Amino acid sequence: MSQLHNAFTLFISLLVEAIPFLLLGVLLSSSLLLLVDERKLITKLPKNPLLGAIAGSCIGFLFPVCECGNVPVARRLLLKGVSPAVAVAFLLAAPTINPVVIWSTWVAFGGQPQIVFLRIVFSLIIAIAIGCLFSVQKDVKGLLQPRLIKRLNFLENQQQNLQSSPQEKVEVPALLQSGSFLLGESAQPLVMNEALLVEKPQLQSRKVSKQKWQQFIDNVLQELQELGGMLVLGSAIAATIQVFVPREVVFSLGQDNITSILAMMLLAAIVSICSTVDSFFALSFVSTFTSGSILAFLVFGPTIDIKALGLMLSIFKPKIIIYLFAIIAQLVFLMTFVYSYFF
Amino acid sequence: MSNLSSSVKKSGNYRLTQLLSVLAVLAWGILLLKYAITGQYQLLIHPNYFYLMLFTSILLLIIGIMKTRKLLKTSISVVDDEQHLTIFPPGIGSSLLLLSAIAGLIIPPTVLASQTALQRGVTETLPLTSYQPQAFVTQTRPEERSLIEWIRTLNAYPEPDAYKGQPAKITGFVIHVPELPENYLLLSRFILTCCAVDAYPVFIPVELSTNRQQYPPDTWLEIEGAMTTHTLKIRDRSDTPKEKRRLVLKANNIKQIPTPSNPYSYQ
Repeated sequence: MSQLHNAFTLFISLLVEAIPFLLLGVLLSSSLLLLVDERKLITKLPKNPLLGAIAGSCIGFLFPVCECGNVPVARRLLLKGVSPAVAVAFLLAAPTINPVVIWSTWVAFGGQPQIVFLRIVFSLIIAIAIGCLFSVQKDVKGLLQPRLIKRLNFLENQQQNLQSSPQEKVEVPALLQSGSFLLGESAQPLVMNEALLVEKPQLQSRKVSKQKWQQFIDNVLQELQELGGMLVLGSAIAATIQVFVPREVVFSLGQDNITSILAMMLLAAIVSICSTVDSFFALSFVSTFTSGSILAFLVFGPTIDIKALGLMLSIFKPKIIIYLFAIIAQLVFLMTFVYSYFF
Repeated sequence: MSNLSSSVKKSGNYRLTQLLSVLAVLAWGILLLKYAITGQYQLLIHPNYFYLMLFTSILLLIIGIMKTRKLLKTSISVVDDEQHLTIFPPGIGSSLLLLSAIAGLIIPPTVLASQTALQRGVTETLPLTSYQPQAFVTQTRPEERSLIEWIRTLNAYPEPDAYKGQPAKITGFVIHVPELPENYLLLSRFILTCCAVDAYPVFIPVELSTNRQQYPPDTWLEIEGAMTTHTLKIRDRSDTPKEKRRLVLKANNIKQIPTPSNPYSYQ
């Protein structure tokens, strides 16, 4: 019984520490989605693959989203004709290279600044490397889901007759929705989809700003409950592992350089906890696992996990996701393994 | 349009999920406020984050109240064109949040004790997450050092024999470890760097003149005595007990004390 009570205390403790950061992330991402004009941003992005990948990795600072919010944004970027290098680099880096995540990692690992620093560096390396790799593919459409390609073609046509009337523009979302249920997964919903963006210049009355405010609140609630639900599950798993898995098992897994990294990577993929708060989750393993493996968790978790898989399937063909997964996993393993030998 | 009719059909369901998410947000606002007012937050998080928690609680309450007013005002809500959500079916996330908040309101947090300490592996070294002392500074007199300060001192200058004979008075809770003789116990405390999840147990072995059964595990003691050194075999953060020369407190005066309201040390 007391074990159960301990587990519950740890569970609540994780939540109490994480919810402020979750709320902050959600508030920022909701407000920036309303404020930042992606179209202007896109015109400023460099064309060179390497620079593009670097730029893409850093857009995370403008869209502080975790791995649930980045997929819809990356998809919008692709749809707007951003090069795959930029979009993929953004997809992989945004969940880590953003102010809220860096802050929460600092809160958790301030005593070990190298973890915070290396989390950023390793994530950047991965994002840029894979961004460059993707730029080799000249035609984006080879990588994408058929449905997305259809939409891309549609939008390209749309762009060609730029001077279309507002009525036509308003019809865009309905047309698109009927063909694709994929719209459904966006955690960053309707506000920034192209239809609304196109409408933007015309709608400037006070009524609209009130409506925007309403959408902002709705978006905050929506993301909070979605990410919060994930957080509750993740915290429950962490607390259970800490209290109920026999110490011998945890120690024998956690003290070895190789098994600890593999175990933490597996955990990162399964637990799917939001990157804004995953450092608190990782804290619960600090005392028993090698710091290399903690780093592996922090770098690998935000790039790919079960929850994000569903979202990524809305962009890429399954084959591409397997490639992505394999390359990232190897990079993370190699880098953290090297780290654990040097430190 | 077919979209519109399905929207109307869905609106009942939609209102329910909206209501759930508002309740979840409000419940968490109330729970955090409760922890702030009762001081129970000390058992959960590092006090540095007190204001962050308080601010979050107020913000959650504001968001919740605003949305409640909105929900009450409009009889039929307009369903978003776009369906969100694939991670959970609608309402599951809110229900999880709501349930955990209600549980938190009913069940008070507990003080971590010897069981958890043994599970995590006790040590005489500072946690990885804490700020490592860079220099060896001893301004406090030995008998005024707390258990944590002793550990810190020992970490900065890890030569047990250097402290031999120094007087000490420390408080902590009792841990029994089977690998030690019957007249030894560990006096331990948790160090918190972020939240209870990373609470890190440190200890100093205590040599008693009697059997340790007199002081059952988890009893809080204030022990006065003098530091000495012994070679002891303790299974700290490894699978096998390690024999090592350790700093040991030889107890002269033992006083049982109630569990302090802030039982953890914070770093």
